[in-house]
Amino acid sequence: MKNKKKALYLTTIILFIMFLLIVLPLLWAVSLSFDRSAISSLPSFSLIPHKPSLFNYQAAAKMINLPRYFLNTIIVTTVNTCIAVLFALMCGFAFAKLKFIGKRFWYVFMLAVMMVPFESRLVPLFLQYRNWRLLNSWIPLMLGQFAYVYGTFFARSYISSIPDSLAESVYIDGGSEWRVFLSIIIPLSLPVVSTLAILQIISNWNAYLWPLVVISDYDKQMISVGVALFNSNEYATYYGPRLAVAVLSAIPLIAVYLVLQKHIVASVAVSGIKQ
Amino acid sequence: MKNLRLTKRELKQNVTAYSFIIVSIVTLLVLVYYPMISTVRYSLNRIGIVGYGEEYIGLENYKMLFSQSTFVRAISNTLILSIMGLLTIPVGFLFAVLINSIGNSKLQGFFRVGYYLPNIITGVSVYLIFRVVLMSDGGLLNNFLSLFVGRKVIIGWLADPKFARWGVTIVWVWMNAGYSMLINLSSLQAIPLDIYDAASIDGANALNKLILITIPNMKSCFSFLFITGMINGLARFTDIFIITGNDAYGGAGGTLQTILMYIFQFSFESPNYGVSSAGSMILFVFVLLLTMVNVKLTGFLKDEV
Repeated sequence: MKNKKKALYLTTIILFIMFLLIVLPLLWAVSLSFDRSAISSLPSFSLIPHKPSLFNYQAAAKMINLPRYFLNTIIVTTVNTCIAVLFALMCGFAFAKLKFIGKRFWYVFMLAVMMVPFESRLVPLFLQYRNWRLLNSWIPLMLGQFAYVYGTFFARSYISSIPDSLAESVYIDGGSEWRVFLSIIIPLSLPVVSTLAILQIISNWNAYLWPLVVISDYDKQMISVGVALFNSNEYATYYGPRLAVAVLSAIPLIAVYLVLQKHIVASVAVSGIKQ
Repeated sequence: MKNLRLTKRELKQNVTAYSFIIVSIVTLLVLVYYPMISTVRYSLNRIGIVGYGEEYIGLENYKMLFSQSTFVRAISNTLILSIMGLLTIPVGFLFAVLINSIGNSKLQGFFRVGYYLPNIITGVSVYLIFRVVLMSDGGLLNNFLSLFVGRKVIIGWLADPKFARWGVTIVWVWMNAGYSMLINLSSLQAIPLDIYDAASIDGANALNKLILITIPNMKSCFSFLFITGMINGLARFTDIFIITGNDAYGGAGGTLQTILMYIFQFSFESPNYGVSSAGSMILFVFVLLLTMVNVKLTGFLKDEV
């Protein structure tokens, strides 16, 4: 028994040390971002800034319009998440509970899309939007959300487990399928809604390749692309401001994570296994 | 023929059902199926820079690609980087075993959340931070190594062709090990405890149990992580592109250019849509094959509607 306790302590200590090593780069980056001496060369390693100051943040504010990128990304992420989750639930409901001609065909039609990586249709999709004269707007970022295939699959398996008897009272009152969907299915599917919403928020926030390709105006750009472009331009030789930008752009998702930590971890674990 | 006719009620039922799915179906037709057919078509044609004026040239684009040493190198880079990226599986497994072994407690919850943290940090922030961490002069990693070696280590983790693949793999593993840990952990916790109890009675020690019970029970988890890891690795783009300074060539003497970066170069930097579509088809075939294996392993489509 004593040995077991010892092993437990030892494992805990090892886990702590590894955890510190993992977050060390982050702590160092935060420290550098507040360090006035991190300009064109790196100061020696320290977790406490050599010359503490807000200079890097002030400099960053002049070099890059972060509030604009934040606002753009928040708008697009919110709209996209709402659209994607709603349409995933609608399809999930239809495939789980409704009878119609061609059901099996359309289900396979949707799932087959998972085998087509987005990247392999990048070029024609780009040309298509160019022909429609929709480049350099948020529309190409949003239209694709009207079919959330993975979400459909996930919602279908969840909605299947909702007993039919719950919907019967609505049908008896002469209510339609839409009524059932809105008043019974959606309220009962909140766990799926939150899982899918979390996955959508993370993936939209990190979207890079597609916004890079379709949006050319800096003013309309998403956070990831905006920051990466800033990183690749000439100011980027200054370490302090660059890391200040890195820290600032990481804050929103970390904040969400700290609030919803258990829920996010659970969502990711579940979605991974089911995928 | 009579039973094929719908009654009014059935017709209404069908119309309602389709009202739920029609938008998604049209979206997929217009934004997935049609563009995918276009990719096939473009890959067989010579396409003008404006994207019009097609001229059928058969497999010329493919021949042209495979005669380019840069494309062949991009394929091999991508495969090598994907395989190196699979390091997330053993690392995640190790984390999961350790975290699982401290028992279900608040502390376990803390580690689960903490080890997953790197995966939640906005990718672009991570790449900016690691550009500095991996700097040859004054970077955190080299400083750290210098402590161990006892002399100053100067390795260009992102610039030196000999080390650059390790550099980006470090970033990849740092970011993705937490995800692998989560999947491993939920798989570990699904193994029935009585198997372990029975083994203890038979006198098995911890190592025996790990090798004879845990690892065999994790097979489906490992194969899932292997396949999805390879699929993600094949379409690798963003991290390397950003970390090398928004450069589709990838820096480090071309050792970091992936297939997708190559496609990007021929789509948006020096457009040749026929060639980039042929590249896309090759990427598609790779991913398709792996996905089919994945479907077979996980029984994904067997699920009856």
